[in-house]
Amino acid sequence: MKSIIRKILPLIGVVALYYLIMYLKSIKVMNPYHIQVLMFAGVNIIMTISLNIVNGFTGQFCIGHAGFMSLGAYGASIVTTLIFGGFSVAPNLRIPVFLLGLLAGGLVAGAVGLLIGIPTLKLKGDYLAIVTLAFGEIVRATLRLIEPIGAARGMIGIPPYTNFAWVLFFVVLTLIVARNFIYSKHGRACIAIRDNEIAADAMGINTTKYKIISFVFAAFIAGVAGGLYAHVMSFIQPDTFSFVKSSDLLVYLYAGGTGSLTGSVLGGLLLTVLPEALRAFGNLVNWRIVIYAVTLVIIMLYRPLGLCGGKELPFLKINRKSLYEKSIFSRKTIHPSEISN
Amino acid sequence: MSILEIKNLSIEFGGLKAVDDFSLSLEEREIIAIIGPNGAGKTTIFNMLTGIYAPTKGSIELNGESLLGLKPFQFAQKGIARTFQNIRLFAASTVIDNVKMAYTHKSSESFFESILRTPKMVQEERMIDERAIHLLKKFDLDSKADILAKNLPYGAQRRLEIVRALMLEPKILLLDEPVAGMITTELDDMAKMVRELRDKLGLTIILIEHHMNFVMPIADRIKVLNFGETIAEGSADEVQNNPDVIAAYLGGGYKNVNTNA
Repeated sequence: MKSIIRKILPLIGVVALYYLIMYLKSIKVMNPYHIQVLMFAGVNIIMTISLNIVNGFTGQFCIGHAGFMSLGAYGASIVTTLIFGGFSVAPNLRIPVFLLGLLAGGLVAGAVGLLIGIPTLKLKGDYLAIVTLAFGEIVRATLRLIEPIGAARGMIGIPPYTNFAWVLFFVVLTLIVARNFIYSKHGRACIAIRDNEIAADAMGINTTKYKIISFVFAAFIAGVAGGLYAHVMSFIQPDTFSFVKSSDLLVYLYAGGTGSLTGSVLGGLLLTVLPEALRAFGNLVNWRIVIYAVTLVIIMLYRPLGLCGGKELPFLKINRKSLYEKSIFSRKTIHPSEISN
Repeated sequence: MSILEIKNLSIEFGGLKAVDDFSLSLEEREIIAIIGPNGAGKTTIFNMLTGIYAPTKGSIELNGESLLGLKPFQFAQKGIARTFQNIRLFAASTVIDNVKMAYTHKSSESFFESILRTPKMVQEERMIDERAIHLLKKFDLDSKADILAKNLPYGAQRRLEIVRALMLEPKILLLDEPVAGMITTELDDMAKMVRELRDKLGLTIILIEHHMNFVMPIADRIKVLNFGETIAEGSADEVQNNPDVIAAYLGGGYKNVNTNA
């Protein structure tokens, strides 16, 4: 019974959070701008989790992650806006079209991730970083040239399907899926590669294969996040997803703490909200970027592993003991320590 | 029939012959030690037997099947497991995860089962967990299952490396200096452990070691290497009294010194 409560409690928390925010909105404590900042924070959280899978859990160094986000944003927008006609979609079809768009965005990003992952993931460290940096720029430069999707002017008229509930839903879904991944043989293989690639190889782990799996999985998630972003903004252009965006994501990840999902949530949330919150202090407006940067320096000085480096909230972990708990289907299991010999 | 057949294994690094014509026919359940001074090419042989280096000449056959050209992870999957001279654990992972990681290629979990955490996948995880605990228990590490590998004492880290290799269910185990840096009492424990690996698990073992009083009592055969060449082979006694071996270890002028060390 306890285990069921422990499993359901975080979900109750999420629902409560949703209603709290909706309540704050209804009594005008929060305005649509606040909600939009929170939606961007959600998208950034998903992006940070995605980057964490590659950089934090597999130990690779991708610095062109915005490239996948833009592929997802364009992929999803092409489906919802160019193929299904954007605002002219019948109301009852909007949700399926939206989800189809997000799926398409994820698949496009994942497929490109596979394409560039196969040749490049044999590279190590700095070399992989340079290739991913180049990849991000290639995507941006290419999108600037394609006329049907607006070239450098960008794409307009994307229906704003994404609302706060959807963002929250996808943050939670990403967290669950990423957690499940990490606590499986796939996640263990990735962590083994991160901790010691030579030993991982010697333990029968096909390191290239698992690097590609983690890269494609992360690219898919980034693509979905890009799709969500496009349908918040209603407008996307290639330059939104420049190297600056990629480096922002790296900052969220390393400030939050690599190898920690809790850290990705905290990093993405705090560092998206902080620069916006600083706008509220009238005279400080011009100083907000400085304050933001100083905050980062302080975090890295006092928490060199990031805010949550190596730490995880209980519901983002899967305890070994849970493998032996009586499941809700009441399959009887015995913990090995209960066996006497 | 021999389980591992190594013939004329040679490797050159830019003209330097690191290993020259190394041959070894290994019977099942044999313990073979490779000894020799530093730089003799012992670890290089291990690196060729695990696919890290590709030999310039020679053949490696496991149960009659050639392993040349395979990648390191394929050598491991075929049944040749190893430990490292300088311990290479997955330091930031728990002890039990270190062991579970070596079960990756045997586990049947698919990607989608994993991310959806299906009941079948959970059952598989439980099986892997039980298997890992079972092995850890044998080597007295089960009480430390949930602490990080880097926090283990040195001797336990060496043991964990062996347990991790056993999770691969290997046919042949390569131990690279298993007692390097250990104190005498730990030496005896390790000798007992190596014998048990052969006697209880039926493993065939090749070990590299400098400690002669560790190697002599447990090895069935000893091969002595110097500058990449095999200079002697035989039982502990034969090797110990071989003048070439004495010369290699102590220098040419000390041929009559008794090497009981």
